[in-house]
Amino acid sequence: MLILVVGCSSDEEASSDGDNSEIANDGKVNGELEIQYFVGGYGDSWWKEVIADFKEEYPDVTITEHAGPNINEEMRSRWVSGDPPDVVYIDGAGSSETQMVEDGQLMNLTEWVKDVEVDGTPITESFIVDPAKYDGEIYSLPLVFDTWGTWYDEAWFEAEGYEVPTDFESFMSTMGDIQEGEDIAPFVTTGQHPYYFLRGMLYPAFGAAGGDQLLEDVITGKEGAWTSEPVLEVMKKVEKMQKEGYIDEGFGALNHTQSQMNFLLHKNAFIPVGFWLPNEMEKDKPEDFTYGFIPSPMQDAGEPFAVVPDLRPLAIAEEADNPEAAKAFVDFVFTKEYATLFSEHTGAIMNINGVDLSQNENVSDYLIEANAMINDPEQVKIYQKPHPMSAELETPISNALVSLMLGNITAEEFTQQAEEAAAEYRNSK
Amino acid sequence: MVQSKKQKYLFLAFCLIPTFIMFSIFTLYPLFSGLYYSFFEWSGSSESKEFIGISNYIQLFNDEIIPMTIIHDYFLVATKVLGIMVLALFFAVALTQLKIKEAPFYRIVFFFPNIMSVVVIGILWTFIYNPSLGLVNSGLQFMGLEDWARPWLGSEDWALPSLVLPSIWAGIGLFMLMLMGGIANVSKSYYEAAEIDGANEWQQFWKVTLPLVWPQIKISILYIVITTLNGSFIIVQIMTGGGPNNSTHVMGSYLYEQAFVQYNFGYGATIGVMILIFSLVTVLILQFIMRRERVEY
Repeated sequence: MLILVVGCSSDEEASSDGDNSEIANDGKVNGELEIQYFVGGYGDSWWKEVIADFKEEYPDVTITEHAGPNINEEMRSRWVSGDPPDVVYIDGAGSSETQMVEDGQLMNLTEWVKDVEVDGTPITESFIVDPAKYDGEIYSLPLVFDTWGTWYDEAWFEAEGYEVPTDFESFMSTMGDIQEGEDIAPFVTTGQHPYYFLRGMLYPAFGAAGGDQLLEDVITGKEGAWTSEPVLEVMKKVEKMQKEGYIDEGFGALNHTQSQMNFLLHKNAFIPVGFWLPNEMEKDKPEDFTYGFIPSPMQDAGEPFAVVPDLRPLAIAEEADNPEAAKAFVDFVFTKEYATLFSEHTGAIMNINGVDLSQNENVSDYLIEANAMINDPEQVKIYQKPHPMSAELETPISNALVSLMLGNITAEEFTQQAEEAAAEYRNSK
Repeated sequence: MVQSKKQKYLFLAFCLIPTFIMFSIFTLYPLFSGLYYSFFEWSGSSESKEFIGISNYIQLFNDEIIPMTIIHDYFLVATKVLGIMVLALFFAVALTQLKIKEAPFYRIVFFFPNIMSVVVIGILWTFIYNPSLGLVNSGLQFMGLEDWARPWLGSEDWALPSLVLPSIWAGIGLFMLMLMGGIANVSKSYYEAAEIDGANEWQQFWKVTLPLVWPQIKISILYIVITTLNGSFIIVQIMTGGGPNNSTHVMGSYLYEQAFVQYNFGYGATIGVMILIFSLVTVLILQFIMRRERVEY
């Protein structure tokens, strides 16, 4: 049966013969506009509001929304057959910005973006983090500024007198106290999706240990990067966490929601996740639970926390039927007003600077605190990765990481395996 | 006479052509498409693909994960065939030949998992195996066997064996009913004759029941083998996602990962071809091993 699964795709020629292109090519914003967006931890209420406002602004545009938690899989055949939606928000399982760029599916926005403004300021000067560049070209605009960090229950920590870690040493010390006091493994993550640990703990650790250059080298699989001294030092820290018994030994079986449930039920005390966590687990949160967020404390004592933004971009399909309306929509979305609304709706931050959330009663406390912390260079240093790691490299590295975290291999063996995976990845390109 | 023969062929064509069309669209076309795509390097998410000849097949032979997935598949096949057939046969005999008053109730209980979706079964057993909240470890602790408690699905050593139990649990009911049907068809006179000859119940089982339900057993084994080789990826995907560190990947789940996670659709198609070949060869070998004259007394 499985061969049938693979064989069920069509390679028919593109059927982009809709009449929208003709209408749109006259420069007017009208016709049909198809938008694909993933609905995950951030929900869809922000999208509904933005789209409703856009309809009001452009009454001649008819919008078709393709949305849901599995939308990337559902829309796959449209992309394969060359009949993609006009606008795509790239997020969630089954989506890969890098792959889409490599496949030539996204419109090159390098020239167009120069004329786009956010409330009168060029958009290129308004981003917190710049767009990903592929050979110097821009194919997407970073819409959501998320960052992975380490979560804890602030109320519980206060009640029990546990210190909130500020670096790796204090992290280990607090985990020791919790292990002793609560008889639990303090740290949990999802073994079914090991990239949570990779992106949530290792990227910041690599940033702190070797800056943007090391991040770029490990993500692109540069020769010798994974066996380099700073990477080995970071992996030694992970090995230490495992050897002390701080990593829940059952993590290998847990999917992301199970690990998050364990965390909410105080079966564990720390978990690395992005800003979507509170929104995603809203219905399951115990009443007395208070979310506390710190950038993952993997850096050495005396250094600022390291944050590696995880950007979720908005892009226009290369074969969009209605590029004019698509551009109008992308232009419409990037405003401070919608950035504020985004934080209110999702508990996360839109990638636009100068948005003041400090006095906003509709924004959660953890987000206000995190936002202030992230914007304080004495507390936090932001490192930037060039683009997301290719799944082809991320999967074998993630597998080796699980082995390390289960205690089945050493840090040295991990770096060796990761280096081999990187070599294979380089050869496949 | 000629007229009636013509009518007969027309009727046959009327019956067969729609079936053949459907079979071509939903089976042959995807089958040959899969074979076709196995000769391409293709991400599966765009139009562009490159013909690379047999490179995917060369990669298949050099892929270190593939032998592991084959071993895992056949481990599941062997344990499922053994577990399901022994238990299904036991319950079928017990519910037909022993005069159990509550037999209809047990029949429903055993068949119940068969009406549940595999996805639901997978999720249910994931909770049962949960290392800190699950029934298995709690039960072991309750019985004073806390040393036996372990992260079942999170351990590279225990994850694959842990998948066997839910698969057996979910499979017993159907095969129990099939075997019960076979046992019900065995004439009582054989048992009466055996009893007169002095055969005890154990001898009656071996000499009468087992040979006469052999056709049902054979079909059941083939069915378990085929469904395991082709369908075990669902339970793997739900319960472990192939992890930890590939320790539960079967051919199907590895195909899924390559095609839909790593965007190597062409290579995924190649794995699909391999699964087809393995399934066909396995079934042919089994047919050969299990060939046996029909027993009649």
